[in-house]
This record gives sequence, structure tokens and C-alpha cells, in this order.
Amino acid sequence: MRGIAHIALRARHAPDALLRGLDELFDRAHARLCGDGALAALLLAPALTVLVVFGLVPLLGALYMSLFDYELLSAPFAGLGKYAQAVRDPDFWSSVRVTLYYVIGTVPATLLFSFLAAYALRRIAWGRGVLRTLFFLPYITSVVAAAMVWRALLNHPEGVANLIMRYAGLPPQQWLIEARGVLHLISGGWIGPEIGPSLALCCVILFDIWHGSGFMIVVFLAGLAAVPRELEEAARIDGAGPVQVVRKITLPLLSPTIFFLAVVGTIRAFQAFNSFYALTQRPDKALFRPTTNMILFIYEKLYQDHDLGYGAAVAALFTLAIVLLTVIQWRVVGKRVHYS
Amino acid sequence: MRNGALLAALAIGAAAIAGCGGGGGASGYRPVNPDAAVFWDRQTTETAALLQDIVTAFNAQYDGMPIRVERAGGYEDIHRKVLASLRAGVVPALAVGYPNTTMEYVRADAVVALDEFIHDPAHGFTEADLADFYPATLEMNRYPQFGGRMYSFPFAKSVLMLYFNRAILRAAGIEAPPATWDEFLAQCRQVKEKTGKYAYAIDVDCSTFNGMMLSMGGEVYADGQTLYDSPAAVRAFRLYQTLAREGVAYQIAGGYDDDIALTQGAVAFTMRSSAASSGIADVMKDRMDEWGMARIPQDDPARPATVLYGPNFVLFKTTPEQQRAAWAFIKYFTSVENSARWTLDTGYLPVRKAAAAHPEVQRLWAEKPYRKVTFECLPFARPEPNAPGWHEVRDLVERALADVIAGRLDAEAAAARLKRDADTALQERK
Repeated sequence: MRGIAHIALRARHAPDALLRGLDELFDRAHARLCGDGALAALLLAPALTVLVVFGLVPLLGALYMSLFDYELLSAPFAGLGKYAQAVRDPDFWSSVRVTLYYVIGTVPATLLFSFLAAYALRRIAWGRGVLRTLFFLPYITSVVAAAMVWRALLNHPEGVANLIMRYAGLPPQQWLIEARGVLHLISGGWIGPEIGPSLALCCVILFDIWHGSGFMIVVFLAGLAAVPRELEEAARIDGAGPVQVVRKITLPLLSPTIFFLAVVGTIRAFQAFNSFYALTQRPDKALFRPTTNMILFIYEKLYQDHDLGYGAAVAALFTLAIVLLTVIQWRVVGKRVHYS
Repeated sequence: MRNGALLAALAIGAAAIAGCGGGGGASGYRPVNPDAAVFWDRQTTETAALLQDIVTAFNAQYDGMPIRVERAGGYEDIHRKVLASLRAGVVPALAVGYPNTTMEYVRADAVVALDEFIHDPAHGFTEADLADFYPATLEMNRYPQFGGRMYSFPFAKSVLMLYFNRAILRAAGIEAPPATWDEFLAQCRQVKEKTGKYAYAIDVDCSTFNGMMLSMGGEVYADGQTLYDSPAAVRAFRLYQTLAREGVAYQIAGGYDDDIALTQGAVAFTMRSSAASSGIADVMKDRMDEWGMARIPQDDPARPATVLYGPNFVLFKTTPEQQRAAWAFIKYFTSVENSARWTLDTGYLPVRKAAAAHPEVQRLWAEKPYRKVTFECLPFARPEPNAPGWHEVRDLVERALADVIAGRLDAEAAAARLKRDADTALQERK
């Protein structure tokens, strides 16, 4: 009887043993033939090919293009002339300003709002699923479709926003084409109209906070789920208040999530296009400068003005700026991230 | 060494990407479709269906290569698409284009001069036919800087018009739309005062501004220079400045917000191409007595002027067979019958006198007098300049106008800056 059981047991484990044997055979053959480096190269090859063909080669292509002055059917060599043109061009610097205002206005605010919303969602027991869906809904809505609704809400003079303004006894605003600074409007003209972001840009910022926070809330919720409740409870038992618990326990443990979202959010904010275009630009008209960020500026040069060399030069400068900023983020902020 | 080889390979790849295309040049353009003469157009909805009907009818009776009409986006999109095609050396047989964009294609040696086709004894127009076209519609297709040759042919023509909401004017105690710009300003103030509504929804648009300059007795362009610092330009800027400062007008944010505001009874006036009238009439079909069209106000109503809009046919240098088919279609489309049909079913104007005299067109004008008002502007409508670089100038005009309306620049400063920048843009493209 024992003999039959032994045979049955061996038969059940036979496939495992077979697989182990094959693994060992493959490892030995592989080590003999090519070593670990070659296997790594083989496995990385598909991803690297895509990266090189669709990332690196176009990047080098753009750098190459930026050295030429493209006419319709000719392209004389321009050296670094297109880069010099960018330095002298006030529209380029205006696009840099708009981009910076937008990044500064969008990323921290979206992070803060998303964290607060996720933290609140984690703590409530009732209706969490519905609220989570509601917060996530804008993110899965098409930017263009959502922008159309916002355009109607912010329409001048009959949009909902202006109806509210009138109801509150305030003057209606040209929300989406107001080039004057929001600080100028709030201060009643005391601050110059050219200082700070325009009202139109603030509308884009607000729109993107609304639209982009759904993604961050979901990631924050995942991050918060990994924060042990015992730690927070222990801190409370030790006399820490809610703010202290968040500052000393939750945020440090959430720092990898915050860092990830900050890096991704910043890169995405630099690359924003849809909301700017759908909310404040007209396809058949010259670009509205107070909401022309660097991506729109590059788009204008490449696709509207057909100045391929200039567009490529600005794109190269833009890429360099993002790389530098990301490195700085890693070096400065990355040190404050707690991974355990 | 390995890294060096990799970098070299990447550089070659990059150069290949950067240098791909290279353009046709010197008439070496291939057709986008070797089996059909492709026509890139922008018409939508009913007008697109009508154009397709005309194309189908043409193909049914033409022995040669068929015409295939393709919607290629708006005028800007089509321009971009054509430029990209020129770089690639592959072009359609026909495309719609404005003189300022056509100019670029002519410089690339991509456009067929139509003079030989026009005067061809077998396939061209007779002298009587040519005399039947309204002179302005033909003249805007002649390019003085290229030997006065015809590089395009009239397709769809319209004029800048003043649209008004009659109900708002009545509520403000105004009987008739303004005949002069002084009356226009006075009526705008009256509308605001009596109804509390905005009087004018401004579409910041270069053609509208040019139309204002012309109607104020000015010129837009002469001797290779713009005249944007002329008294007429400053006066037009001042009018916008006054309207904006007094809060009687506002700038629209979206493409057709002014039309929407007019039809919703939110504003009294808009200024647009007469081609917009069919859309407005459609929306207002149950309230036809609540809106109307008039020629734009004039400084001197005895010597009126407005802008002549409308794209033209541009025939590209592809194969002889494609060119023959494209020309045959142009001739077919501009026949009296088709010109009349195009006028009847769209907001466009007849390009031929015989089409205007067509009984159906006469009946239309009797039933819809607003359509006749636009036609009556044709004799004094003037095309905009077709100088190289005018495309950039249009953007500069609209930026200056937006700055004046927003109060960032006063009229004189805007005029001075615009004149300087526009002339520089033209100089750079010479």
C-alpha cells in the first residue's frame, strides 16, 4: 500500500521535476552560449527598438532640422540661427512664461486637492464608491468634449459663470479671452495687467485641475491603502492630533506616491495642449498669446507658420528644459522620499 | 567604437527623417490619385452635398478622368495640407485657395497658369463668356507679380455684410440699420442704453477690418506696402476702441459665437461673409422678420466699398490628363446653369451675369430680398491684397485688433506697430 502511495506521489510531482530539469538545462546551455548580458539584450531589444525608432531618431531628426531654415522647397543651413531667433522672439518668452505659470498653478494645486480628496474618501464609510466614480469621471471624459461644456459655462455674456457674477453684483468677465492678469482684476487695477497669469490662463488651470485630479486621486487612494492604519492609530494613542498624524505618519509614508505624481504631473503639465487649444484657441485664427504655452508655440511654428527649423529648435530647447527639471526634481525632491 | 557606430547609424536615420520629402519643385509633382482628379474642398453639410451632385453630374457626362471631391478641412487646413503635399511632391489636381495662399503655390512652380486653358478655342471660354463674368471675380485671380497671369479661377464668392437683429433694433427704437459708421456707433450706444444688451459681437478678423478701412475711404495696400497707419486704419481702430471702452461691443471667444448671439437675440449687429446667411436663415426660419442683412456702413454711402471674399479653384501641375479633367470641371462648374444652382442653394453669389438673370435666381431674390442685398454689393466689392506674406499680415492685423479691443494698445499705437510689423513680414517674404 505504501509502495502505491509512493508511486502516486512521484507521478504527481513529475511535471515540476520535468520543468526544473528543463530550466537547469536551459540555464546551462544559455550560460555556455552567451552569458547573462546577451539574454538581457535579447529581452530588451523590442523595447529598445521602439524607443530608438520612435524616440531617439525623431529627437535627433529634430535637432538636425533645427539647424536649417526651411523654405517651401529648400532648406539652407542656418547653424544656431534658429536658437538665436528664439532668444530674440518675445512670443517665445511669452510662451515660456505661460508654461511656467501653468505648471506652477496646476501641479501643486492638483496634488493638494487630490490628496485631500483621497484622504477624505479613505476616511468616509458611506458613498465612497459613488464619490470615487464622480471624481474619476472628468478624467475619463474627452478633454475636447469637456472643454466645450466649459466654454458654454464661461461664455460671454450669457454663460453660467457670468450669470453668477451678475447675481453676486460683480461685472461679467470675458473669461476665455481676457488677457489681463487675474491679479490686476482682483486688485481693481492696483497691480499691472501684465503681471501674473491672465484670467484666461487661470480658466485653463482650473479646468485642468478639475480634469486631471481624478487620476491623482486614484493613485493616492492606492498609496493610502498601503499606509498601515496601526501606525496612525499608535500615533493617535500617543497624543498626536489629526494634522500631526498626516504630517508625521501619512505624508512620509506616501512620499514615493507624491514624488511619482509630482514628476509625472510636471511632465504632463509641460506637455499640455488639448485644454489650451480646445478652451481658448480658434483653429482659423492667430494664436491667443495669453494662453499660448510652449507646446502650442511649437505647434504654431511647425504647423501654422511652416517654419520647421524654428519649430524644431524650440522643441529641442523645450525637451532640454524638461530633462533638466526632471533631473532637478530627482536630485532635490527625490532625497526626501521614504521608500520604507 | 560600438557607440560611435550606433551614433552614426542614428544620425543617418535622423537625417533621413529630417530630409524626407524634399518637394517636387520644377513641375515634378505627382497626383495624389493617379486614377482620379482629386479636388480638395472645404464645403460641409448641404453645400458639400450640392457640390458632390455637381461633381457626379460632371463625371457622368465627361469622357476623361473623373473628378473626386474630398473634404480636406477648413481653408487653413487645406493650405497646410497643400504645403505639406508640395514638400512631398504629391499634389491634388484641384484645391480651393485664397489669393494669398495661392501665391505660395505659384512660387513653388506648382500651379497651372489658366490663360491658355481659358483662351483655348476648343475647351476655353468665348469672349462673350468671359464678359459674362463679374470683372471683380476674375480680376482677383490675376497675379500682377507673376506677369498678370490667371493662376486661379472663381469658385465661391461672397461679400462682407452687416447682419442685424431687427427685434433688438426695434426695441431700441431704431427703424433701419446704419448707413454710415457714425450712425453705426450711435445705434450701438442706443441699443446698449435702451435694451441693456451688447450692440455688436466682434469677430476679430482681418477681412472685416480691411472692409472697414475700404468703406472708410481708405486702401489696405499699395506699392508693396500696407497702409495700416493711414487715417482710415486709425479711424477703424478708434471705432473698435470706442465700442470696447464704452462696453457696447464685446469680442467673441468661439468661432461662431457672434452668429449664435445674433440668432438668440443677445446682440444687435455682427459682421460676416454673406455666405453665413444661409446658416442664419436656417436657424431663424420661423422668425425671418427678426433679422436682416445690409451692406456694411460707409463713410461715403455714395462711394461704397466692401470686401469680396471667397475661395478660387487652383489647378496644380500634375499630369496632362488630370489637368484637362480639372479644367473641364472648372468650366462645367462655372457654367450659367451651375452658377445659378450654386447661388440658389448656398449663400454664395453668382459669378456670372447670366446666372444672376436666371429666372430661378430672380425668383429667389423676390422671395428672399436679403439674398439680393448681398448681390447688390458685388459691383463695389473689392478683393483683398494677394501679396506674398499676406498670410502673416492677417495674423498681425488680428493681434493688433485684439490688443485694441482689450485695451492693451490705443488706436494710434496699434496702427503704428501693425504698419511696422506687417511691412517687415511682407519684406521678408519678397
